Amino acid sequence: MAKGTTVRMWRRTIFVLLVLIVGGFGTLVVSLFRLQILEGEELQTRAVNQQTQDTSLSAKRGTIYDCNMKVLATSADVWKIVLDPNYIRKELVPKEGNENIQDVIAERLAAILGKDQETIRALMEKQTYYAVAATKVETDVKDQILELKTELNLGNAIQLEPDYKRYYPYGAFASSVLGFTNSENQGVTGVEASYNSYLSGTPGKLVTAKNAWGIDMPYQYEQRVEAQDGYSIVLTIDEVVQHFLEKSVAEAAESCQARNRACGIVMNVNTGEILAMTVKGDYDPNDPYTITDEADLAAIAAIPDDEEHQEERSEAIRTAQEKQWRNKCISDTYNPGSVFKMVTAAMGIEEGLVNENTTFSCGGYYRVADYNIGCWKTAGHGTETFAQGLSNSCNPVFMQLGELLGADTFFRYFEAFGLTRKTGIDLTGESNSIYYDAAGLGPTELATSSFGQTFRVTPIQMITAAAAVANGGYLVQPHVVSKIIDSDGNIVSTNDTTVKRQVISEETSARVSAMLQETATTGTAKNGYVAGYRIAGKTGTSEKIDEWNAAGREGEKMYIASYCGYAPADDPEIIMLVFFDEPVPQNGEVFGSAIAGPPFAETMAEILPYLGIEPKYTEEELAKLDISTPGVVGQSVESAQTTVSNAGLTYKVYGEGDKVVAQIPEQGESIPKGGTVVLYLDAESAAGTVTVPELTGLTLSQVNARISQAGLNISVSGAALTGSNAVSDTQDIAAGTEVPAGTVVTVNFVDLEAVH
Amino acid sequence: MTTDVRAGAAGSAPGAANDGQTAQRKKNSVLKRVRKKFRIFSIRSGMDLPFFFLILVLLTIGLVMLFSASYPYAYYNMNGDSYYFIRNQVMFAVLGVAIMIAVSYFDYHHLHKLAIPILLVTYLLLVAMLVLKDSVFVPNIKGAYRWFYIGPINFQPSEVAKFSLILIFSHLVSLNFDKMDTFRYGVLPYVLILGSIALLVVLEKHMSATLIILILGAAMMFIGGVRLRWFGLAFAVLLAAALYLLVFTDLFSYAMDRVYGWLDPFNPPEGVDTWQTRQSLMTIGSGGLLGLGLGQSRQKYLYLPEPQNDFIFAIVCEELGFIGALIIIVLFAMLIWRGIVVSLKAKDKFGMLLGVGLTFQIGLQVILNIMVVTNTIPNTGISLPFFSYGGTSLIMLLAEMGVVLSISRNSAIEKL
Repeated sequence: MAKGTTVRMWRRTIFVLLVLIVGGFGTLVVSLFRLQILEGEELQTRAVNQQTQDTSLSAKRGTIYDCNMKVLATSADVWKIVLDPNYIRKELVPKEGNENIQDVIAERLAAILGKDQETIRALMEKQTYYAVAATKVETDVKDQILELKTELNLGNAIQLEPDYKRYYPYGAFASSVLGFTNSENQGVTGVEASYNSYLSGTPGKLVTAKNAWGIDMPYQYEQRVEAQDGYSIVLTIDEVVQHFLEKSVAEAAESCQARNRACGIVMNVNTGEILAMTVKGDYDPNDPYTITDEADLAAIAAIPDDEEHQEERSEAIRTAQEKQWRNKCISDTYNPGSVFKMVTAAMGIEEGLVNENTTFSCGGYYRVADYNIGCWKTAGHGTETFAQGLSNSCNPVFMQLGELLGADTFFRYFEAFGLTRKTGIDLTGESNSIYYDAAGLGPTELATSSFGQTFRVTPIQMITAAAAVANGGYLVQPHVVSKIIDSDGNIVSTNDTTVKRQVISEETSARVSAMLQETATTGTAKNGYVAGYRIAGKTGTSEKIDEWNAAGREGEKMYIASYCGYAPADDPEIIMLVFFDEPVPQNGEVFGSAIAGPPFAETMAEILPYLGIEPKYTEEELAKLDISTPGVVGQSVESAQTTVSNAGLTYKVYGEGDKVVAQIPEQGESIPKGGTVVLYLDAESAAGTVTVPELTGLTLSQVNARISQAGLNISVSGAALTGSNAVSDTQDIAAGTEVPAGTVVTVNFVDLEAVH
Repeated sequence: MTTDVRAGAAGSAPGAANDGQTAQRKKNSVLKRVRKKFRIFSIRSGMDLPFFFLILVLLTIGLVMLFSASYPYAYYNMNGDSYYFIRNQVMFAVLGVAIMIAVSYFDYHHLHKLAIPILLVTYLLLVAMLVLKDSVFVPNIKGAYRWFYIGPINFQPSEVAKFSLILIFSHLVSLNFDKMDTFRYGVLPYVLILGSIALLVVLEKHMSATLIILILGAAMMFIGGVRLRWFGLAFAVLLAAALYLLVFTDLFSYAMDRVYGWLDPFNPPEGVDTWQTRQSLMTIGSGGLLGLGLGQSRQKYLYLPEPQNDFIFAIVCEELGFIGALIIIVLFAMLIWRGIVVSLKAKDKFGMLLGVGLTFQIGLQVILNIMVVTNTIPNTGISLPFFSYGGTSLIMLLAEMGVVLSISRNSAIEKL
């Protein structure tokens, strides 16, 4: 046998070698090809997902402006405080003298943030690199934390991430329109919600590589996608108009004690732009979770604060919060009542079924399908023209008109006036109306629908339909946003006027407006009269029949007092609806005109001049017009007396001296023609005061007498100028108050005849 | 290939010259040895240079990759000392190469005398492992007893067992080659030795080493001339044993969850931890065709467990891509090829078998390691020669390569 390799050994070795190389190494190459080439992308995605950490970079939320670019909502820089527990454990604790660093951080940070020390300490036990310790921290707190970081040499243990906080500089102002944002900077209600996608912008992304312990990898692997700031929004809301509307509605709601909140809308008749929209009780969007309604607060406080009632309590809180966030103007439906008569009247005129002089008779009720349906004036209005019927707000006239129209025609117009569909206003939470269709309108339903009962619409639907009556018949889409702009002020998009259809002719519109002007001047709606402004208006005192029925007709009736009107009647520009839900009845009755008329008139009187609508006074109005007091301080007594007399005013002189050192009323203040200007000749007499007398429950002449007797001046508001039966209702300075002589006391008058 | 080998086998003239040289060297004086040492660096050296340089190339790539793969792991686990592993490994590599060169001068025929003593030492070590189980010398690491700790040194007796097995089989075959047809000389000793070593290693719960030992032993017996019918019989016995376990025990059903975890590591059954496998696959996949670039691995940042050890090849794939991995596999294949060619030209059966055994051992380790890393076979601990971290095993590996180089000095292969 040879010493060397035999052929068989050689063959067998080569065989094993081939198995090893072809079989073994071949398998390896195939496996690697599969993993790296065929499945490579999928596996790499998995790997990248676990290696990278996405951190969201907040986008700055856009600003909300009013139509004059006043800031109503804005975002300010705040900070998010993030702990890195992994870093603290692995990098800080092992360092010399750092054994208690976690406790130290917890203690110091808790003190700065005003949080519980235990909570912060617990965060540091988490197996993560990212634990949020606080959000929306203001810059001064951030600076303290930065100092702490430097002092304790904390490295990356505490990170400060920029964030934004929403501020509403005017507080509760226009909150129903603006809405508010939640802690994630997302809109919850109002424009904040309906335009959230525009306002919120696109959050940026910071992708960083992390090792399996969550610590940044030491090499460069970072991708940054900058946040795209949100667009800003310009509202149709005018801060000034909103201010006047809020003031009037709040005061009136307070005085009539509306139990189920009140609301008001001011709209441009022709474009559908909402100039103001308010709900009382609303909330402060800076602090939307705090309940503002005192009755709700009392109810919640009455629930015992224990475990057993925990759920009941939080339920009550939630309900109260949802109520105050709910925009009554668009979310709640109501029976519009007599306000709706302007729409029914328009139907009748348009169809040619009635004209202004068509006569009707009212016996205090009208019999429909075996029911006697009453007029508000149980004695009846007797024979009256259609125009008088509208002015008197006579129910039997409108029941008869309903009959003339018939269910089909009535419903066709009802639909055409947009009362069966949501208006499409650009706010979240709009409700739709509840109504009978043509088939459902039996004689009784038709009769009661004709004067605004039986069906329910939202205030925004009502004002939109009323606007169509006013503006020549065009049904416009209401909206609160006029345009969207980017951060450089470039216009991204605009909301133009959308006219859905023409419902009635311009002629019909003009004729109904003329009748409504009469109604607001001498008729039932005269509490909404504003001198010089040709107001067309209609009051409503609707019975909350549904709720009353639901309550079993026990207890007192519930009402809604409302007023809807527009101006100027001959060329309407501004329409306004105010509405008070469940005012506390006086002597078991509620008079819509008395409650809703004055705030309407007050607001209109303020906003119409502001909006540049020129007054046109009648002769009668001019005679009673207030005069602006001339300034005479510093003049000689004689010269001052002449000036005051020439201005159509009288004067009284107090004190000793040659020159006028003070005057009341002051220069520019308005007082009625023939009012008194008190001229003081020395400082001593200027300090003297007179007592304001009781001025309510009196006629205009009685009030004037008491005023001049006391040496005071009067400013009259409300129905005093037109109503023969006007009675003073409120005075702005309480009886018994000591004021300087000549001070102007504003007295409001209501016409008790004009209550419905 | 065939021509080449045959030519080498037939061309006995240079072989004879070499033989004479070797005989002469045995009796050389100290002075002459010094003169011969000079020849290491000579192109006309008696050592097979392709094999030698393939080792150096693989070792160098291995060190570079070890540094890249290990520095984050070292940074986070060795108190910020990123150089911990590479410093040690370079030290051992330098020492190992020196030992390899020294061993190449050592006449492998002396190993005939050492075959039985080494076998006895192996048995002693393997039995000691079982005796000292759970002591400071043989701690329980992940449920297995693979490592033997003496002072600062630690090593795996199974590594010794592999070498010992190759050596004793080479020794016995070359001694009793004429009687390989008989059961007593051609089968029994091998079955007894292989069976006993495999049993002792399996008791260490060292499955991968058991597998390598069994395959190596079978390959050695096959090449050594054990008749094929015995392999048929062994195959039948194994099949019967497997069937028995399948039918009469619940061993397989017990292992089923692990099998499912192996088949679909991204959706493993409850209680089966496939983290390492998943990470390895993601690491390999991340490399794509061209890789992320040397040093650019992301998975080594604590995602892939022990990136400096058994799973270093995954990092190679991630950083160097499919192309880089392929080059390294081809380098290994060339090393195996060259090792076999060198061994086949050995002058005697002992040298041939020893060289073939040691070379196949490397090939087997590489294949099984990469199969584990690519999840081609279930996860079991096998290191990658020249790449994985480990001082004693690297020195042992290089010493074994020294033996192959020693064989090459005496082979009939054409010297470059």
